[in-house]
Amino acid sequence: MNKTVGVIRFLGTNCDQDVFSAIKQAGLSPEWVCHQDQFDKSQYMALFLPGGFSHGDYLRCGALAARAPVMKSVVEASRHGTPILGICNGFQILCEANLLPGVLVRNNSLRFRDGWVGLQRVQQSPQFGSDKLIYAKLPIAHGEGRYYIEDDQVKKLFDDEQVWCVYERNPNGSVENIAGVMNENKNVAGLMPHPERAVADFMGGSDGLSFFTSLL
Amino acid sequence: MEIEQKLKHYRLSRSEYDQIVQQLGRPPEGVEWALYSALWSEHCSYKSSRIHLKKIFNKSSRVVAGFGENAGVIDLGLGERVAFKIESHNHPSFIEPYEGAATGVGGILRDIFTMGARPIALANYLCFGEVKAPRMTSLLDGVVRGIGGYGNCVGVPTITGQTEFHTSYNKNILVNALAVGYFAPEEPVLRARAEGVGNLVVYVGAKTGKDGVHGASMASESFDEKNEKKKPTIQKGDPFYEKLLIESCIEVMKKKLVVAIQDMGAAGLTSSSFEMAAQGKVGFCLNLDKIPLRDSSMTPEEILLSESQERMLMVVRPENLIKLKAVFAHWGLDAEAIGEVTAGPEVELFWHGENICKIDPRFLVDEAPRYDKPYTKWQDKNRVTSFKPYEYGIKAKSQKLLELLRDPKFVSRNWIYDQYDQRVGAKTVFDCTESVGAQRLPSGKILGLVLGGRPYVMRFDAYVGAIDCIAYPALELAAKGFLPLAATDCLNFGSPDNPEIMSEFVATIEGMSAQCEALHVPIISGNVSFYNETLGENITSTPATGLVGLKDHFEATPRSYFQNKNDEIYLLRLPLLKFQGMFAEVEKLSQEGSGYLDVKKVASFADLTRHLALVKGVSASRVVGKIGLAYALARMTTAELGVEIDKVINDGVFIENLYEVLFTVNSDSALQFRELFNKLSQNNEIDMKIIGHVREGIFKIKNEIDLPLSEIHSAYNTNWEVLFAGLS
Repeated sequence: MNKTVGVIRFLGTNCDQDVFSAIKQAGLSPEWVCHQDQFDKSQYMALFLPGGFSHGDYLRCGALAARAPVMKSVVEASRHGTPILGICNGFQILCEANLLPGVLVRNNSLRFRDGWVGLQRVQQSPQFGSDKLIYAKLPIAHGEGRYYIEDDQVKKLFDDEQVWCVYERNPNGSVENIAGVMNENKNVAGLMPHPERAVADFMGGSDGLSFFTSLL
Repeated sequence: MEIEQKLKHYRLSRSEYDQIVQQLGRPPEGVEWALYSALWSEHCSYKSSRIHLKKIFNKSSRVVAGFGENAGVIDLGLGERVAFKIESHNHPSFIEPYEGAATGVGGILRDIFTMGARPIALANYLCFGEVKAPRMTSLLDGVVRGIGGYGNCVGVPTITGQTEFHTSYNKNILVNALAVGYFAPEEPVLRARAEGVGNLVVYVGAKTGKDGVHGASMASESFDEKNEKKKPTIQKGDPFYEKLLIESCIEVMKKKLVVAIQDMGAAGLTSSSFEMAAQGKVGFCLNLDKIPLRDSSMTPEEILLSESQERMLMVVRPENLIKLKAVFAHWGLDAEAIGEVTAGPEVELFWHGENICKIDPRFLVDEAPRYDKPYTKWQDKNRVTSFKPYEYGIKAKSQKLLELLRDPKFVSRNWIYDQYDQRVGAKTVFDCTESVGAQRLPSGKILGLVLGGRPYVMRFDAYVGAIDCIAYPALELAAKGFLPLAATDCLNFGSPDNPEIMSEFVATIEGMSAQCEALHVPIISGNVSFYNETLGENITSTPATGLVGLKDHFEATPRSYFQNKNDEIYLLRLPLLKFQGMFAEVEKLSQEGSGYLDVKKVASFADLTRHLALVKGVSASRVVGKIGLAYALARMTTAELGVEIDKVINDGVFIENLYEVLFTVNSDSALQFRELFNKLSQNNEIDMKIIGHVREGIFKIKNEIDLPLSEIHSAYNTNWEVLFAGLS
């Protein structure tokens, strides 16, 4: 079994080390992929786009990173069916790259928000998170985490089983409390909270670990 | 220009001018004026403080690097080391709060990674004026956004903080930022000492612009009505650039491509180049026209004094330049060779081939003026032989407590901390909601970080406040089981030309040093910020400190909040000094206190506290602080868990006794806990009593307070939004 997992680093990505360690802790083999790199669509068993402030969030968060050379390979891998998870800024990048529906805009408080949230699973992702994990406690840390999609598309998103998880209590004004979504094929997923920051008791919880171990 | 006008423009005194003429054998010319102005400013030269700073306790076998380096470094054992330092950015933050605070964070981070350490934690010590003072809510908002905007983006978590409010900061707020960096075993500690004649001087990072020109000398004088005009001296930060700089600098340092490195902070290129040359006892030859510029119209003087952010100066072996440039190019950054190291002793500056300055760096750095400004020996203040606590009925006291919990001075600061990323890096064990921040290091050991310095204790008696700014945070660490290891200090004072301020300054250094020595905690880095004064009004003399501590593992570390119903509550006391401190201030009562601190007794009390905190079954702990026991207990409550105190509290609940520590202990472990106390406590001045229990839904202190827990909880946790309604 190919256990190599690509971790994509853009200029300004800052959760890269944390995601890298969590993948290793899960028994997989993480490998760095640089924003300028290209790779073969079947090279990695899975891809992660960690959080951070790619390109300083200038222009719009994720907008510049979505146009980095590496994204061409990411798009090809997504068509090939490779599981891809974007966390926080990674989620924003996948939306900007049109690999996921909707967009993430400024929190309704207009402030950055750090803290722990409760997450409820709406649909199981075939790759990320064990089937037993229907509720998880995970940290958030974002200024632009309010999930938005036009009214007429919200229902479709639920009907097509693309809504992955919702917040127990809405921290940012997201439409229908949405915290994570999937593409139509369910191999690409985006999540605003940080599972890599909840993989050991000392961190305050370990619900995040199964988002990595479930790939095995 | 007339000499007098020039002196005013460059903020130099007549006697300093005479000293310059003597050094050079002639009057200064051209850019020499600008060099002297910057490097002889209080901010860069420490001319009023240096003779006193020498007395600071700084010895320990753990010290790897101390004063004189960009940051102090301490050995944690097993090859692990941490660099840390606290620094002020007060003046810029008052003029332009967002950029002032943001660049304060950026500057302290550069001090850390310049040493070769990867930044892993931030902390902020903030002092604001009264909420109703002009601009105050927008200053607070700007500072918090600025800290978050920078720290969140570079990806360094903020894990603890302290925020004070007092009228003395109405026109001079304080913004002190602390950063900690981590060295894994084998990773090198870098220095700012230039060496190797023929080596290249390389400029790295952002291009130079006109921002921050004369910033260092601006921060070396008091404010007046014309503060608006000082806006051009404020720098603008770019945390994205800083993040790239962190990654690329750490990479070239690990690859051993760098001989020496210094960040361009206050007084920019001038201070970095002259200090590097002076430290290495070498000369430099620098081509100013090779500096990458944002604005091509800049003059050599502006280039020398620009405080544009996110820039570094490195000394590099010529054969390594290509490899070095390749690393920076990978991160999208330029590295430009702008000169070379010479045998010296002079630093020579060139502008399009013309030699515009040739000067010995030692004149500017080592031989900068030193002043012994007038001060008097410290006399105890506000002491009475005995005093009576103020008496209220139980109802009045209960209402008083609620009123205090809603006051900006005491209300929860979570609104601030929620705007900082507290967990990036995935090392955070204790975030800002705990009394001590903590991170798990790769070895599995836990590093504790806490801020100290309580302005109201300084107002009571500066010598007591000085001891307290080490003792109180050391106890906070001990109460979580951490061994305090080392400290950093940021000394925020008014004008050193005022003998009363200078007396407090000297007393502060003596008090801090005495307590540090007793605890075996060296002060390994810091800075001094004078002239926190506006139109003759000085701030409270405010030493802000940061202490790091270490414990072997995370297991059984007491929290800062009640954990289990029916846990026993113990009060551990060493009552050396009793006073009404902050309660007297808010109630407008006269400042009175009795007793004296004894640094040795405090140190052994801290040691006892630490041993007790390590007992398994100690579920929570907190050092009793401002306004005494009731407030400390209120801060330990959760939505469900309150207290029932059935022992009578002798002095009442609004008196502060230095020092007292609260522990909650699981009843299964209580016997072991008490036995350890009996075994270790040799000093009969220390006593420990069980005073009550953790209970659901109530907040009762016998003869003092009787309230439903929900009222305590909502007063403490929700009133920030009311106070700062305009902001949320």
